[in-house]
Amino acid sequence: MHSPIPFSWSVRWVIIAMVVLNVASCKKESDDDPVVPQPPAVHGLVIEHHVDGAAAVLDAMNYITESGTTYSISRLNYYISGIVLQGMNGTANDTIKGPYYIGDQGTTRFTLGTLQAGEYSGAGLFLGLPPDLNVTGGLPNTMENVNMAWPDPMGGGYHFLKLEGHFDSGISTPGFAMHVGNSAYLAQVVIAQPFTITSGSGDLVLRFNLNEIFRTPHTYDLANGNYSMGSATLMGQLRDNAADAFSIEYRP
Amino acid sequence: MTRWGQLLLLVALLGASACRYKNEEELEAPVAPATPFTLSYPYYFPVLDVPADNPLTVEGIALGRRLYYDSLLSTNGPHAGRSCSSCHFQSNSFTVPDPGRSVLPHVNLAWSRNFLWTGKVSGTLEDIMRFEVEEFFEVDVSVLQAHPEYPDLFRRAYGRSEITPELVAKALAQWFRRMVSAKSRFDGYLMHTEELSDDELDGMMVYLTEAGDCFHCHGLPMMTDNGFHNIGLDSVFTLADQGHFEVTGDPADLGAFKAPTLRNIALTAPYMHDGRFATLEEVVEHYSSGVKRSASLDPLMTKPGQVTTLQLSAARKAHLVAFLNTFTDTDFIGDTALASPF
Repeated sequence: MHSPIPFSWSVRWVIIAMVVLNVASCKKESDDDPVVPQPPAVHGLVIEHHVDGAAAVLDAMNYITESGTTYSISRLNYYISGIVLQGMNGTANDTIKGPYYIGDQGTTRFTLGTLQAGEYSGAGLFLGLPPDLNVTGGLPNTMENVNMAWPDPMGGGYHFLKLEGHFDSGISTPGFAMHVGNSAYLAQVVIAQPFTITSGSGDLVLRFNLNEIFRTPHTYDLANGNYSMGSATLMGQLRDNAADAFSIEYRP
Repeated sequence: MTRWGQLLLLVALLGASACRYKNEEELEAPVAPATPFTLSYPYYFPVLDVPADNPLTVEGIALGRRLYYDSLLSTNGPHAGRSCSSCHFQSNSFTVPDPGRSVLPHVNLAWSRNFLWTGKVSGTLEDIMRFEVEEFFEVDVSVLQAHPEYPDLFRRAYGRSEITPELVAKALAQWFRRMVSAKSRFDGYLMHTEELSDDELDGMMVYLTEAGDCFHCHGLPMMTDNGFHNIGLDSVFTLADQGHFEVTGDPADLGAFKAPTLRNIALTAPYMHDGRFATLEEVVEHYSSGVKRSASLDPLMTKPGQVTTLQLSAARKAHLVAFLNTFTDTDFIGDTALASPF
């Protein structure tokens, strides 16, 4: 007949040994921990749509152009590219080539990688695509890009901007379609607004004030130009007006 | 060993034995992995996204094809005894020539993100097929499970013979991805292997310029933007004509319906969501002279000067119809690989 005691004691010794070894190994590990390097900062590019300070809301007939016309926005699609962050000495400190397609789903965020921390005097960007990409087939064949195609008989390439909606004409609410394409109408946006990128991760925020499209230097009257595609005059006005339509900030 | 020790050993052995028995019961006979299928489509089509958990396979497509044509798909509900093919004839680009109603064609839906006229379902083909399986056809998977062949077909396609609504939807999604139409005369023109007539080329100019402005909603190469548009069919909207508003509740979506692809458009009469137009000539005439104003009329329907109609000449209307006819893909409607397997 075997006594149960030796069996139980052996189990106990095994458990005690395991606990001791475990504690010892934990201690050793923490003693040997090297200094963990900080991961590199990751920056994002955030695009926001505003109308004179308020977040843009689709299909709301409550925006007013510089010329006094009430309007709504029902569709917004565009590209931005060639984002240049200007250093304090006036030279380009960082360039974000893009292009980025932005749909009308509100805020859009893209991952950029790491931007240089420091003070910047402002930024610049294209509302649209640079000429080397603005050719038929110049962008990857995504569903978004094919829907932005500018037909070959009209010059090829892509729509830079589609801004559509309705406006109050006094007797009805007809539609408007502000479409811009063709490299001659590529808007060069200048943002003369200092900002600072601090160390660590954060987002560079570009805010598109849609009402600026109708403001300066051309006071755009939707009643006189509700459909821009194919009109050199109207696309030229929209290009010029877009030059100051963006603002910038850095959000740590 | 004590009695307690012996008892513990016995329990352990019984437990191990039970686990082994259970595993053996769950495992099915091994089956060869399904054969990958590479879908062919032109370089100018958008890159196709295929969900990682439902890659295209020869066996999956064959299973989806069989389900598409099998009336066993629906043994319950209002569509009992019908299959997808009951309302989607290959000869009509997988729609039905039924006056008084309009069924969207099953063409190139692999590139679609919004489904049905109102956009009731959005997402992937797996999402719309899940809707079709569970809500439209009310598929009774026990009927398929009891079938002498389906369990094995599912096992070959998906490695398991237990049939679920999810797997039925996945198989159908694979089949829909296979239904690619890209060999029309116009595709030949894009590939520089076909020439178009002068009339057709003029029709193309109408289509691809502001003269007709077809391209914004029916842009190349898919001939749809997958969006929703109120094209001025009505100025007052009955319950049946509310369109995307049914889904969003946004008054701006009243009367807006999905822009269907125009591929094989000559084969898919009648036209519009309610089949109100019998011919392409009637459709073109609508855009040329019949657009009705409403608060939700798509902005793209308003032209310079706030005009809503195109005012095309008789010749240009005819040329536009001639161009639309170049979208017909006779290979697609005659492809035996797309025909019924029964």
